Amino acid sequence: MRLLLVEDEIDIQSFLQRSLEEAGYEVEAASDGKTAERIAMEDPFDILIVDLGLPDQDGITLILKLRQLGVSAPVLILSARRSVDDRVCGLEQGGDDYLTKPFALAELLARLRNLLKRNSPAASESTRLRVLDLELDLLRREATRSGQILQLTPQEFVLLEYLCRNAGRVVTRSMILDKVWGMRIQPDTNVVDVHIYRLRGKVDGQGQKPLIRTLRGVGYVLKDR
Amino acid sequence: MSSKTVKPILHSAAWRISLRATLAFACGTMLVFIFLHRFVASDIQRRSDAWLSGEVKVLGDVAEQTPKNALYDRVVGEVAELVSKEVPNKDSSAGATNDSVFFLQANGDGSLMLWVGAGSGVPNLKAIQAVRIVPGSPSDLRVQGFEVPFRVASTRINDGSSIYLGLSERDELRVLRSLLLRFVLLWLLLVFLGFSIVFFTTKRMLSHVQRMTEAASRIGHTDLSARVPITARNDEVGNLALTLNHMLDRIEISMHQLHTITDSLAHDLRSPLTAIRGKLEMSLLSGSQSDHSEQIVSAIEELDHLTDFLNKSLDVAEAKADALRLNRVPVDLDKLLRIMIDLYEPSMSGKGLQIRLHSGGPLIVQADAALIHRMIANLFDNELKHIPSACTVNLRLSVEENTALLLLEDDGPGFDPEVLPHLFERRIKGSKSTGHGLGLAFVDAVARAHGGTVAATNCEAGGARLAVNLPLLAISVGQVVAS
Repeated sequence: MRLLLVEDEIDIQSFLQRSLEEAGYEVEAASDGKTAERIAMEDPFDILIVDLGLPDQDGITLILKLRQLGVSAPVLILSARRSVDDRVCGLEQGGDDYLTKPFALAELLARLRNLLKRNSPAASESTRLRVLDLELDLLRREATRSGQILQLTPQEFVLLEYLCRNAGRVVTRSMILDKVWGMRIQPDTNVVDVHIYRLRGKVDGQGQKPLIRTLRGVGYVLKDR
Repeated sequence: MSSKTVKPILHSAAWRISLRATLAFACGTMLVFIFLHRFVASDIQRRSDAWLSGEVKVLGDVAEQTPKNALYDRVVGEVAELVSKEVPNKDSSAGATNDSVFFLQANGDGSLMLWVGAGSGVPNLKAIQAVRIVPGSPSDLRVQGFEVPFRVASTRINDGSSIYLGLSERDELRVLRSLLLRFVLLWLLLVFLGFSIVFFTTKRMLSHVQRMTEAASRIGHTDLSARVPITARNDEVGNLALTLNHMLDRIEISMHQLHTITDSLAHDLRSPLTAIRGKLEMSLLSGSQSDHSEQIVSAIEELDHLTDFLNKSLDVAEAKADALRLNRVPVDLDKLLRIMIDLYEPSMSGKGLQIRLHSGGPLIVQADAALIHRMIANLFDNELKHIPSACTVNLRLSVEENTALLLLEDDGPGFDPEVLPHLFERRIKGSKSTGHGLGLAFVDAVARAHGGTVAATNCEAGGARLAVNLPLLAISVGQVVAS
């Protein structure tokens, strides 16, 4: 996967480049709009990460220009502003995504994956999800572990489904809130942890290998190994 | 006036306005004077023509009826002399010598028959013969040796001779000339007066503007508290000054708020930053690997907390300054509350709290979804953090007079009476609270930004009650503030 990273702050650029390369992306970095345009024209990219505050031009302007030049790869917009610009909303509706700084690396990677998935021809949507001995029947909304049916509420099933779809990868609390409850909020209290705790009580029964792992300070992982 | 001040005056708007006004005024008055002068001139002409016609007729009658004997010349001559003494517009200073009138009688063959006047009368006769003078209507006659033309009327009498009465236009021209001189002087005076009045009035008015400019240029260099001088008059310039001062008031308030925000942010950020730095430093110093990750995890959590705090306090500050930008979409409060309850219920029941929703079904408000989500989350967080276990939270959603009313009631200990009046201010929190004191301030800010209100009271039976009002339809904040 070829990724173009447009970010002017060198610290962020180098840490992102390192982490993205570790995550398996082939990263080209640009520090300003002009360079980004040139690089994007030379080679096609699968996905772009664009910071809004570039030294020579506005990130949105760059994206719109690239779109006009025929670059159709999805864009993940990085913004240091709190309020989301109308134009960002427009791009979001057009299939791009945005992330506000500071962000968890796990969330950045998850959003990149989502964008790539959205852009690739829809994989045949399976009606069953399987992670180790955990199995989810998406049609009957039923989850089993080692053949035993788990008594889950509908909400718990959605949460578990989300974890399964991201098995082996870190999901943050804000990602869970966004995807499972559809809200971009940051509660002061540990509401998400309590949900996970309850779910874990049902999924990781006595004597079974614990599947749901907490990564303190980051989020949760559903183990797939 | 020194040359230094002359140049600015020539470049001033007052000067330009006065010049243009004066030019228009001068042209106008000049036209009026020219018209008056013409009118007077023609009137004088008409009067002297009437006199000439009248007198020449009298003389003609006299000449006709006087027998042509030796006395004829004397009689007609006397009458002509008498006539010349009644000349209109006569300059009395000219003395007895009378060269302004002539009387001439010419025979049918063109020879001079009788002459009364200055000189020999021959040039006059020549001039008369050179131009044809129609009897009845007087006309101009230039005579050699006289600078000023004569006005001549004629009549023909029975014996075939013609009688000519000439009146020098000298007196007429003198009157007109003195009139012209007066007109020009008067005109100059008027123009000068007009110019002065316009110039000084505009200069005076524009000097207010100039003072405003000076005051405005001082503002910002030193401080924002300076104001433009206000005139007592309620005219355009006065209004400009008032408007400018209102604008400056608003800017000063905004600046003040900005200062307050930055000051309190700097203050509030220092302690968590110190804590994070300390934790990271400790992780460097401490030996074992597990210690490392514990400190780092704790630092990351602290950072998340800090980010949240930063966002919230900026939102609160922006909302207080009416600068929160809303992206209004239809939001179903009923559905939102159900999702929130679903999210918070495990935490609440884990703490032994019960939550109940009393709602009459979908209730849609035009609101900023992200802000409303966070506002409701804040309300729930608040309940979760502050009420003791085994309490019940009742949520009531209803419509009242085009507003959505959300009531949160619990049977806990209620609000601390000391804190209650200041509940929605920033950094206000109960003595046992562990939050950063922004939760309810944020709720208040969001409600206000949507044109709604939040009220906190203690129930009679004990317990806290929070009432959030949100208008159903989009009403701009400006309208609400204005009303």
